Amino acid sequence: MLWQQLANGTTMGMIYALITLGLTMVYGVLRILHISHAGIFALGGYLAVLASRVSPNLAFVTAAAMLGCGLVGLLMQKWLYRPLLAESKVVSLIASIGMFTLMEDLFRLVAGPYVLPLPVRAPFGLDQFETSHMTGNQLVVLIASVMLLIAAWFIIHRTRLGLAWRATEQDFETASAFGVNIDRAVGTNFLLGSAVAGAAGALVGFYYNSVYPTMGSVPAYKAMAIAVLGGLGNVWGTVVASLILGLVETFLVISPAGLILPRDSIAFIALILVLLFRPHGLFGRR
Amino acid sequence: MRNPFRWLLIAFTGLVVCSLAVSVIGADPIKIGLHAPLTGFAAADGLSVRQSVELAVRQINDAGGINGRPIQLVIYDDRADAKEAVAVAAKLIEQDKVAAVVGGSYSAPMRAVAPIYQQARLPMVAGFAVHPDITRAGDFVFRVGMLGPIEGAAAGDVAGKFLKAKTACQMTMDNDFGRALAEGFRARAAQLGIKIVWETLYPLGEMDFTPYLARLRQLNPDVVFTSGYYNEAAQFCKQAKDMGLKSQILGEEGFDSPKFIEIAGKASEGVIIVTNLNRDDARPAARAFIDGYRKLYKMEPDMVGASNYDAFLVIADALRRAKSTDPKAIRDAIASTRNFDGATGTISGFNALGECTKPIQAQVVKDGQFRYYGEVSDPAIITPPDK
Repeated sequence: MLWQQLANGTTMGMIYALITLGLTMVYGVLRILHISHAGIFALGGYLAVLASRVSPNLAFVTAAAMLGCGLVGLLMQKWLYRPLLAESKVVSLIASIGMFTLMEDLFRLVAGPYVLPLPVRAPFGLDQFETSHMTGNQLVVLIASVMLLIAAWFIIHRTRLGLAWRATEQDFETASAFGVNIDRAVGTNFLLGSAVAGAAGALVGFYYNSVYPTMGSVPAYKAMAIAVLGGLGNVWGTVVASLILGLVETFLVISPAGLILPRDSIAFIALILVLLFRPHGLFGRR
Repeated sequence: MRNPFRWLLIAFTGLVVCSLAVSVIGADPIKIGLHAPLTGFAAADGLSVRQSVELAVRQINDAGGINGRPIQLVIYDDRADAKEAVAVAAKLIEQDKVAAVVGGSYSAPMRAVAPIYQQARLPMVAGFAVHPDITRAGDFVFRVGMLGPIEGAAAGDVAGKFLKAKTACQMTMDNDFGRALAEGFRARAAQLGIKIVWETLYPLGEMDFTPYLARLRQLNPDVVFTSGYYNEAAQFCKQAKDMGLKSQILGEEGFDSPKFIEIAGKASEGVIIVTNLNRDDARPAARAFIDGYRKLYKMEPDMVGASNYDAFLVIADALRRAKSTDPKAIRDAIASTRNFDGATGTISGFNALGECTKPIQAQVVKDGQFRYYGEVSDPAIITPPDK
């Protein structure tokens, strides 16, 4: 049972990491709390449902969700955040919350209030894989999320694009003076961050076989808490914080304490403690 | 966020007004009010409620109405929200002046409006709301659905007598309904000598049941009595199958939705539930609902719809016998209902509290459909309290 629970907790952790990754990337370069990121996550689920009518292959629907969400993220940056960049950060935060609410209601109006199934199969029959410790679906989510996280790490730390992001993160003007195209750096950052959120939406839709309008509402605030725990803008901190949270939640809900503390409270209790004692996050640098 | 469906509400109100204008031309219609959660989290149930009651109205009007007068349904959306339901009640009482009301929404809104109808001396029949306080509002409030503890006890009976279980675990959703079911199951299990090896609560909206399932698989009880609405239920069964849980899953009326089978897929096969509707019921009253619903809407009916279909028909039957639209006469006629043949079973009558007695169904999922598994008709279990 211990191994089984470790697999359960790790899977949840990886799902959290994927949802939070894009959020923390965006915060890194723009210092904007991008609440509507959770709307893009839900959009990923809906795009996957649409794509599954073309082909019921998980790799295909995930790619389709990534593409669609990446583009929507890019447009959101161009039309929502860029015009507000000169304003106070509170303005973009409120715009972002408004955008998230708008997206949730659009999903409801267009696709209906019901839970939609996402009938897809993983490539190589991975979802049929069975051991006593881990289910096929968990294996698929683990493999896919590790691949995505490694790709994200590679782009951030091993490419010129990532270098441009990190330079922008440190100082807009200096980066610009050294020849970084700020607009392009921010745009690609949104594109890729949103694509990862889209992948998370598709994978979560697959894992639970359900996509619904409010699927982003718990992640909207939980991802924010994880991003702060891991240190905003810190990719590895995000992954570690997500894994810890996934595991703690998993072991909590079956312990007697689970009868008193609901699962979703852990992230926020940890958030309060971290803000009190380590305001730059568990792994943040200052 | 608060009112994403306002336009829908406006459209509905428009429809109601139009249908009013049209029907004035014919014989003077009898107005019946209906609360339904048409939007919000319970919208899937709301659709089922609306379609089922509209089916009943259509069947009655096609057969010439009641005492020569057609029925006119006045539907309002209460979003399964107590505040909205109170406003709906005020509209139905003062503006629409309906003769009686079908309470087709959840426990919280029905609890809020029951005392209002009682005070207005307007009869209300609740469909599938389970909270005991609803009928305690007074003698104008009735219920055709089951009470939580009785349904839980019936599940205990299925576990002990049909499944011959010796051990059981309880996965209880943490709300009034879940806890009431768990209480009924626990009591009946104790009487039948079923040992409950583990009980836990999970929050509503839970999607990840794997931690609980790892524990359940290790304990390997004969039966896992699980409460939940269709989405939680489907997640639980799907993940249970993925993780190789051997125990029989026993559910309740929250599972009773075609959406449960759609989302859980193959994992729903063999799941047994206690509910209010037997899909294989051969009685004409049940066939009229089940076949009529499938034919008209091209979708599967569920217990939510059936319960409200019956709530409406109980009122229609009372109108017929009362030969009057006076609310007091209708109330008295409902109270004197005897052996009413409904879609959900034969209602032997209402007790002093307004609760009804009828057998409880056990259904099993077979080839993607709910089918007959058994029936609990032991009066010691299904007779509701009258205080």
